[in-house]
Amino acid sequence: MSKTEKLRWAKLDNAAKIYPAARRKNWSNVFRQSATLTDAVDKEVLSSALAVVVKRFPTIASRLRKGAFWYYLQEVESPPGIIDEYSYPLTFMSRKEMRKCAFRVIVYKNRIAVEFFHSLTDGTGALVFLKNLLAEYLEQKYNISVPLENGIVDRRQKPVDEETEDSFLKVAGEVSQSRKDSNAWRMSGEGEAQGFLNLTCFKLPVKDVIDKAHQYNTTLTVFLSAVMMKALLNLQKEKTPSLKKQKRIKLLIPVNLRNLYPSKTLRNFAMFTIPEIDPRLGEYTLEEIINVIYHKMGAEITQKHMSSVIAANVNDEKNLFLRVAPLPLKNLVMKTVFNSVGEKKSCLTLSNLGLVKFPEIMKKYITRMDFILGVQAAAPYNCGVVSFDDTVYVNFIRNICQPELERHFYYVLKETGIEATLESNRK
Amino acid sequence: MYCINCGAKLESTEKICPLCDTKVHCPDVTETKEPLYPAGRIPKLKHRSNTFNGAVIIMFLIPVAVSFLADFHYDRNLSWFGYVLGALILGYITFALPLWFEKPNPVIFTPCAFAGVTVYLCYINFITSGDWFLTFAFPVTGGFCVISTAVVTLMRYLKKGKLYIWGGAFALTGAFVALIEFLISITFRISFTGWSLYPFAVLVLLGGLLFYLAINKSAREIMERKLFF
Repeated sequence: MSKTEKLRWAKLDNAAKIYPAARRKNWSNVFRQSATLTDAVDKEVLSSALAVVVKRFPTIASRLRKGAFWYYLQEVESPPGIIDEYSYPLTFMSRKEMRKCAFRVIVYKNRIAVEFFHSLTDGTGALVFLKNLLAEYLEQKYNISVPLENGIVDRRQKPVDEETEDSFLKVAGEVSQSRKDSNAWRMSGEGEAQGFLNLTCFKLPVKDVIDKAHQYNTTLTVFLSAVMMKALLNLQKEKTPSLKKQKRIKLLIPVNLRNLYPSKTLRNFAMFTIPEIDPRLGEYTLEEIINVIYHKMGAEITQKHMSSVIAANVNDEKNLFLRVAPLPLKNLVMKTVFNSVGEKKSCLTLSNLGLVKFPEIMKKYITRMDFILGVQAAAPYNCGVVSFDDTVYVNFIRNICQPELERHFYYVLKETGIEATLESNRK
Repeated sequence: MYCINCGAKLESTEKICPLCDTKVHCPDVTETKEPLYPAGRIPKLKHRSNTFNGAVIIMFLIPVAVSFLADFHYDRNLSWFGYVLGALILGYITFALPLWFEKPNPVIFTPCAFAGVTVYLCYINFITSGDWFLTFAFPVTGGFCVISTAVVTLMRYLKKGKLYIWGGAFALTGAFVALIEFLISITFRISFTGWSLYPFAVLVLLGGLLFYLAINKSAREIMERKLFF
């Protein structure tokens, strides 16, 4: 048996199956997590740290391969080379690149960024990978010993089975939830040339945001989601003044299922909830929007509801006709479904990774964390949120020229009394 | 520092306000922090695989080679090969040539395809020593070229009124079918039997229906509700 054949492989998890099929000529579903350090990154040490970490997380440090009926992941034989940063994050990941390695490690000055194709893992799994890469790097670079806490694991240990399981299959319910849902308002604008992506980072003081969220008796995620929906409402109103012609504002909020089910998987294990506002019903205050989101999340983020939603996806995967269909046919069907349904149900995604915690010894070397989602295939925006230390980083990514949504988001925030500091990659 | 136009609070690295595109001017800021991303490092995007386009050319070349050999082998002379070659070139211009372009504009490629048909017709006429039916073929090609190009152009550049465009296209095609029968009767000296009235009636009715749906919103909604998929 050749060395390549001995490498570990895994079927794609239930959520991951759609992403390879949904890829387009210049779009693939990739997201980024990065950490900015106090000192410039030493690439040699980082390569050495990466070589250790890829062995520990074989389902994340993988490449995407084709079988006759399904795609699958195969662990990479050797760690990928370290890449220098481009002028924008999340540059297009081609099929050829994914066949070699479906994640990238990118360095710019003090920053280490990892970009993952979404079939490998979700935000939580990616964060564990990045944390352990940082821990290994800091240990090798500064000769320190990082305790095994806050997501740091023993990198020399063999991968644990629980971390590589497809938890969707375990928690799927008996009854399936209908996927019928109304379409959302679609933003549009003049596209950027050469696939350039505009990044605008809003830096907010954690204390201010949490205090404000508590004033409304809600959480940081609900508060920021409400601000985003209010910004979307204002933007649509500016573009389409006629109330009757306005469409529903819907925000896709990913839900980490590890908080609902006892799972330690590092593969995809997230679902979503989509709160919506019908602007034709009248003007909504921020408080009313918060109520809508809060109650929607309360009703849907339960084991029973999520199990029924997962069941619908798992049943599709188990369908005999779909299973025996050759991969090109499956791709055609899944791509058609994704294009006609998948992305029309929300205006954009707001994904909050939460507060990132490190062991104290690591924390003094890290100054900042970022979480950036790629734009949707047919919609120009997406938004990733992460909190670290005393700052919330809200990263807007956009493939159109006009920063209209960011402007409205800024003003809605300012109306609530929170002032953001802005940073961007403007050309 | 703050944007002098919109008042947004900016990092000291910002040169242009990300919210309103105003150039930032703040002589007091002497801090030399690194920008968030390096400037001028844009990856080159490979838009289309030349392998695919090469494979398409080979697909066209195979029947060219086979028909050439068959024609030549039969009587050591080329007789019908020109027709096959012309048809294949026409097929390539129509279906494969746009693949070489990043964003092929159908407003350009549609008349190009009809121009190819016209050249092919001229070739056939030349080979048959002027004995071919150009008085019929030219007006038919020209008519379809005008209707197709008009539909493609309007669909591309008008954001609204798709039902009107297709309604008009159906009605025009109906009228054009009647003209085709007239041209057939002149060119081939066949009496005018009026068969074209059937497609004319159907196409004009369809066109009228689309116009009605375009005007009547409630009828349009009913159709959408009944026929969506």
